[in-house]
Amino acid sequence: MTSRGASALLLVALVACGRTDRRAQPAPAADPVAGAAPAEGETAAPLAKSTVTLYFPSAAGDTLTTESREILDTIRPAERGTQVLAELLEGPREKGALAAVPEGTTLRRLWVREDGTAFADFSDELASGLPGGSSDEILAIYAIVDSLTANVPEIQRVGILVAGRERDTLGGHVDLRRPLRPDMALAQKKAE
Amino acid sequence: MWRPPPLLAALAAATLVAAADPVPVTITTDSSGPSTRVVLMVEKGARCKVVQETARVQVECDNPIAPTPRSGALDDTILTRFALEGDRTIVFATGPGFRRLDTFELRNPTRLVIDAQGERGAAPARAAAPAKAQPVVVIDPGHGGVETGAVGPTGVQEKDVTLDLARRLKALLERRGLTAVLTRDEDRVLPLDDRTSVANHNRAVLFLSIHLNASKRKDAAGAETYFLSTGATDAEARTLAALENKAYDPGGASSEAKAAAPPDRGLELVLWDLAQNSYLAESSRLAESVQAELNALTGARDRGVRQAPFRVLMGATMPAILVEAGFISNPEEEARLKDAAYKDKVAEAIAAAVASFAARS
Repeated sequence: MTSRGASALLLVALVACGRTDRRAQPAPAADPVAGAAPAEGETAAPLAKSTVTLYFPSAAGDTLTTESREILDTIRPAERGTQVLAELLEGPREKGALAAVPEGTTLRRLWVREDGTAFADFSDELASGLPGGSSDEILAIYAIVDSLTANVPEIQRVGILVAGRERDTLGGHVDLRRPLRPDMALAQKKAE
Repeated sequence: MWRPPPLLAALAAATLVAAADPVPVTITTDSSGPSTRVVLMVEKGARCKVVQETARVQVECDNPIAPTPRSGALDDTILTRFALEGDRTIVFATGPGFRRLDTFELRNPTRLVIDAQGERGAAPARAAAPAKAQPVVVIDPGHGGVETGAVGPTGVQEKDVTLDLARRLKALLERRGLTAVLTRDEDRVLPLDDRTSVANHNRAVLFLSIHLNASKRKDAAGAETYFLSTGATDAEARTLAALENKAYDPGGASSEAKAAAPPDRGLELVLWDLAQNSYLAESSRLAESVQAELNALTGARDRGVRQAPFRVLMGATMPAILVEAGFISNPEEEARLKDAAYKDKVAEAIAAAVASFAARS
């Protein structure tokens, strides 16, 4: 077999792998929930994928606009939420959307309590990277809250922590002393 | 195995119910704010509801209750006194100042909160006081000190412009016969709670926080007016009630420590956080009016009236709004906000709306 033939075969294999809805063994490096993966016994069936809707600030005005992503169909709400936030923090793919959080923001940890409250702990950039106006602060917070509550049925409200600590606000505006419910009034439906 | 005949069992059950002690209900009242608040903590075993009748408000329970105290005077023109009537109804007599009722329920333990709105001015005891004090308006210049707020492309700082606008607004309001108090009249850090405290302690007719917006979208421009979002405070009440529930431990190990602490601190916090809920309709009306004047006088892009869970508005016991007068991140708007004539226009617009609102309240 020529080397050209071999690479064509490899390409076919890759495409097939990318297109299929099932992967027998997700590569650990590409798995956003690596480390939190279920025990060996539970993964006997290949992981299915599911489509989630992320909320990003719109480039056109101050509403939230939606984008779809595929995540692994994990069972535990914290794993599902962690994947949703990983996709959100990675940023938008379409032109009409802006990054939801300041550059460099990472998710430190996400907990989901049984009463429907999730606590998302972000790195310091979430607060320090904001430009100081209420507009971007509101959009950053509700991009997080709306994305989590819309895609993880077990999450009804979200508490936001920064660098492991509770804060009154990120930049002097939105009250973070208590978990927030989604504000779907900010979300504009994407025309399809 | 012997089992009691059904009838006997039923009889025993009925006797048990009949012999059950009346359900304890603890009544606390607070007439220090603009409205009169009554909180009834109802122990397990009874469900109570609030019914408004002519000249009275009744709390009707489905089982006999033992309220503490059994009766009392509220020394007030909104709700004058209360007393147990029969064995399951508490009657509150309304006074001449009574206007309307807001009630809500908190769980675990079950507490019924009655918020009677009205006018205290009619109180005979206060008739001797100056007949017509000037209404107080509290203006809050956003940020301050090391908390600069947003910074414009040429370095204009939000905290300086908000203070400048607040001072202009104060002068214009005083020319219209109102008393205007600034939460800060210098460049210093002021915690958010202290800002509403100034308004609450001054019994202000309204609280207005002035801010400038900023966005990484450089074309973002315009003015908008916020009032508190309802969903936010609702969620907050519930979460806090849940926290309280954990702390609530009657007769438990911590009861000694509790006795030393103020009796109902947790409840106070709930009420404090809910304070703005009673004023949302008025806050919305004030916001609409301020926004309309801004649109008419400044020519800034109309971003409308919006709602968000602004921390600074949370504890205000009066109509409260937050004005975002423009985007300091936008080069054109930053330039306008450096211009004294433009700042006068913004202050004039807010003053016109505030003065007409204060005149009606």
